[in-house]
Amino acid sequence: MTSIYDAVYHSDMSLDLNIMKTNSVTIQFTINVEEMQLEIPAGTTALDLIRDRLALKGTKEGCGIGECGACTIVVDGRAVNACLMLAAQLDGREVLTVEGLSHSGDLHPIQEAFAEKHAVQCGFCTPGLLMSTSALLKKHPHPNRSEIVKAISGNLCRCTGYHSIMEAVKAAAEKQAAFKKD
Amino acid sequence: MFDVDYIRAKNLEDALDFLNTNGAETKILAGGTDIMVDMRSGALKTRFLLDISRLDDLKKIEIQHGQLCIGAAVTISELLESDTVADMAPALRKAGEKFASQQIRNVATIGGNVAHCSPCGDTIPPLLIHDANAVVLTSEGQRHVTIEEMASGPYHCSLQPNEIISHFVLQPRPREVTFADFQKIGRRQELAIARMSMAAMAYQDERGLIAYMRLALGSCTPTPHRFREVEEYMTGKVPAENIIWEAGRLLADKMLSITGRRPSAVYKEPAIQGLFMRIMHPLIRT
Repeated sequence: MTSIYDAVYHSDMSLDLNIMKTNSVTIQFTINVEEMQLEIPAGTTALDLIRDRLALKGTKEGCGIGECGACTIVVDGRAVNACLMLAAQLDGREVLTVEGLSHSGDLHPIQEAFAEKHAVQCGFCTPGLLMSTSALLKKHPHPNRSEIVKAISGNLCRCTGYHSIMEAVKAAAEKQAAFKKD
Repeated sequence: MFDVDYIRAKNLEDALDFLNTNGAETKILAGGTDIMVDMRSGALKTRFLLDISRLDDLKKIEIQHGQLCIGAAVTISELLESDTVADMAPALRKAGEKFASQQIRNVATIGGNVAHCSPCGDTIPPLLIHDANAVVLTSEGQRHVTIEEMASGPYHCSLQPNEIISHFVLQPRPREVTFADFQKIGRRQELAIARMSMAAMAYQDERGLIAYMRLALGSCTPTPHRFREVEEYMTGKVPAENIIWEAGRLLADKMLSITGRRPSAVYKEPAIQGLFMRIMHPLIRT
């Protein structure tokens, strides 16, 4: 694959601005287990790509500056804010959005736990919290309280007051552990 | 969508070459957590973003000649996963724990935090107490820049457009150091932009006198500083409550001598004294 670097740098640098400003990049990545190759404008954010180009509307835009966590996705196993990332940075990465949590049509154990513990009220922060929880449980299948707090404190919720969310994350860990035993 | 071009360098050499030609129109992109915010607000307009976040040369944590070298593209999460950092630069680890949110720690880099030159960069006070130098590269060679010289003012980096920070060289904590900490005051626990931050490390001799002390402040002055007068004041004294209180007074005075007495001094003066009291308090009992 020709790298992005080749595309821009080895082209004629005296090109006028109008041409340069329409520069696009080709990215290849995996999203929710599906491999993809796309040509996108270089200035596209990861959030724009996911919501507008791929029509995966589960990832929300809240603040747009990395404070609320509504746009949290998991990239190579780590939770990140999609609003603070360029889509071009996803090249070669493995991306998980809330739509990829469950493949069977059933709820994922994390989703079940959030529903059962009433950790959802308006629901806007929920996809982000689910993704933060998913990344946490991959790393710490049995998280303690402070690990949970650390993992989800980049996700703002203005409805539930966090108590039920903490309970849901704990329940999700138990569900996953039980699921693995089966 | 931003009006910008994205270039990802294959290796350090290509990145430096690119900057030689296009440095003036390029912003270096590592984690992007500051750049994306600044582009969104309109504060930053640039033609090129040069992504250096995947360059292996910039991602190492290693010990060289007894000094701790931390690559500029090491993320805060990677810092926290390093036993070497925990052992040799414990205050830096503590700052990492209090850095923004999990999502941001996962991508934000130490090099970006320093080069952004925010007065409140959380990694800066710990780097100062380790007498850290940034190793700065151009295609012609390299130079060392102290952390105090890095910012020529708030958000003004003294680096040239053709330069890249390769790594930071830290003096490891002296073996005797058992006390090292980072504290900050923000408007909330997580994701708080520090209103004041402080890194310190020290050890006491067998009589309980402070034999070694390092202290640096963030957010309080236009560019972060070590406060050597306070270090000297504490050295040779038993850290009793009244001594720490006095040292905190001296620290507040020194801070105000840099900033001048601005309206915020009414808050900052007692707050910095209190923060110093809080950070040093564990030494009283030892």
